[in-house]
Amino acid sequence: MSRLLQGCSLSGCFEQVPVGFAALAASLRYQATTLGLEHRPSYGDPLACGLGFSFHHPDLSPIEGMIHGWPDGSAHGVTEHTVQAACGLMSVHGRASGKAQGLGLDYVSTLSASLALQGALAAALGQLRGGRFNHVSSSLGAAGVLGIGQYLAGATAADEAERLLPGATCSKNRPPFVSADGVHFELETLDAEPWRRFWAAVGIDAEQAGQGWKAFLLRYAKAVAPMPMVLRQALARLSMARINALCALSGMAVCPLRSLAERRADEDLPGQLKQGPWAFDGGVTDGRTLSALTSGELPLNGLTVIESCRRIQGPLAGHLLAMLGAEVLRIELPGGDPLRAMPPCVEGVSVRFDALNRLKQVRELDIKSVAGREELYERVRHADVFLHNWAPGKAAQLALDRADLARINPGLVYAYAGGWGHDRPGESLPGTDFVVQAWSGVGEQIGQASGTPGGSLFTVLDVLGGVVAAQGVTAALVHRALSGQAVRVDSSLLGAANLLCAQSLQDADQPQASLLKGVYPTQSGLLAIDCQTPAQFEQLRRILALDSQTTAQRLDAVLGSALLSQAAQTWQQLLDAAAIPACVVVEDLSQLDQDRRLKPCLSLNAYTSVNAHWSFR
Amino acid sequence: MSIFVTVPTLLRTFTQDQKRIEVQGQTVLDVIEYMEKQYPGVKERLIGDGQVHRFVNIYVNDDDIRFVDNLATVLKAGDSLTILPAVAGG
Repeated sequence: MSRLLQGCSLSGCFEQVPVGFAALAASLRYQATTLGLEHRPSYGDPLACGLGFSFHHPDLSPIEGMIHGWPDGSAHGVTEHTVQAACGLMSVHGRASGKAQGLGLDYVSTLSASLALQGALAAALGQLRGGRFNHVSSSLGAAGVLGIGQYLAGATAADEAERLLPGATCSKNRPPFVSADGVHFELETLDAEPWRRFWAAVGIDAEQAGQGWKAFLLRYAKAVAPMPMVLRQALARLSMARINALCALSGMAVCPLRSLAERRADEDLPGQLKQGPWAFDGGVTDGRTLSALTSGELPLNGLTVIESCRRIQGPLAGHLLAMLGAEVLRIELPGGDPLRAMPPCVEGVSVRFDALNRLKQVRELDIKSVAGREELYERVRHADVFLHNWAPGKAAQLALDRADLARINPGLVYAYAGGWGHDRPGESLPGTDFVVQAWSGVGEQIGQASGTPGGSLFTVLDVLGGVVAAQGVTAALVHRALSGQAVRVDSSLLGAANLLCAQSLQDADQPQASLLKGVYPTQSGLLAIDCQTPAQFEQLRRILALDSQTTAQRLDAVLGSALLSQAAQTWQQLLDAAAIPACVVVEDLSQLDQDRRLKPCLSLNAYTSVNAHWSFR
Repeated sequence: MSIFVTVPTLLRTFTQDQKRIEVQGQTVLDVIEYMEKQYPGVKERLIGDGQVHRFVNIYVNDDDIRFVDNLATVLKAGDSLTILPAVAGG
């Protein structure tokens, strides 16, 4: 279908933005374009404490959006790099990459742009339903914290909290693996049996293979995968051709790590970049309007979302819709989602699970049984959104595909948060986070920036994919409210990967945003510095009394020794006063709540949870 | 022969909130059958069609039984059995 939100526009000054907000502005503009929003340039204040924009439609009052640097409304020292340091993302990525360090991608900026647009779309929906939502604010810092919400829950649980610091596990004995002929690759299977067969064929004994499987399963929960060394060593003696053959025999999926240059050459890419991370497909126009708001607190109050999702991406999408006020009903298999028991638990529920699902109602239902399906049909009849993340083909098998549900509820927004998306270019492989990182070039980019062979064990794409899915649903609801037309919305981990690299995929010669960027040890703690302007760089040289003749090659070493004279916290204050972006790197997630800038987005209960991302008025 | 089982939160409704129980059995399957007698309903949460559910991991001491002898994995006195949910995929 044509661009979803034609007739809507976004105005803002996206070319001249405050230092540190450029990547955010670029992503916001790109996403707005792919949604069909016309761009109206306006003048902005480059010294403002954030990025402002406004959303327009002839039937609506303008919606003023503001993306602050930090949740407390300040913007001191904000850049992608410093936010990754302060919100704990460097810490989580560092668990398996050897040390606290950034992802090397504009991750929080992309996440934040997606969330900010989602907030504006929700406000539009709220207005269309009779509410008064004229302003929506959010922040880069809160987006970063939202991204690591599950890990934060695990690290702050009242009972049996995890203590996994940067460098917790070896950065070499983890996936991806490398073959004798130097090919880096990811292995993936969702079952133990292919794993067992594969390693037996490689010549690894069952005990070591079992230890490897245990480590392999930790990736999704804890961002580590401490493999026995023999696994990696054994594969390093085999050619890629041999490994491929053994994978085929044992039912293990294998995906070589592809470069961004390879991804750029894929035939599907231009279409995907033009389309954006969603594929919208219009359905019938049934003329029914969405229910009017009865209570004015949140824009999605009174709307019902039925979610049949497991793990991270889908549940996060449902969680965001619940944060916007929707009543989300989670369908779980009889006995409940097994992940409810994933330690650490507080009051009988996994805190990691709770972090993504605490705002939802639950109905246990066997959707494979006739009775279960009938009940689901009945519930769908009165719902506004149906969201799932099943494996490809399963929806049709269960008679729960779009057409099946449209017969019951023609106005339903049908959303699928999948792995490979509408065009399914990599579909022969399982569409899981680490495989899609490898295939999409995201893994290569992160590996290059981190000095590791591949992507992050932080679930980079599950989290961004979840945010993108919720944004797509919100856009579809706005379209539904404006036109009366039902919409199917497909989003995917691959779409999230394309979005994350959209600027580099479109222009291979992207200028480097930073003149100096790094993480440095100090007398106490690590400090992230990111000089983006010559003035900031000169100021830093002056404060640290660095010789102006110091060569670029020696700069890091000289800087490193100069910073050893003070603690990171002191440097942050000193550099802040001189308007140089610098932040203490949070290594222990349980310390996150000590940062007064982040406090407004956190709640301290049985674990530290992340508050609703948006503030409306 | 006493075996100790660490009970996951989701099964504690069956075990009257006990986190650790002492059971008897020569193999993992014996232990599950023993638990079923003491705490009816547990078995179907762990196994179906004679196999451990895909989303459940059972460890004997530190070893995943799928890499030993599955439900036929032999136990010795004092072994500790841990049941955990499996997370594969994101």
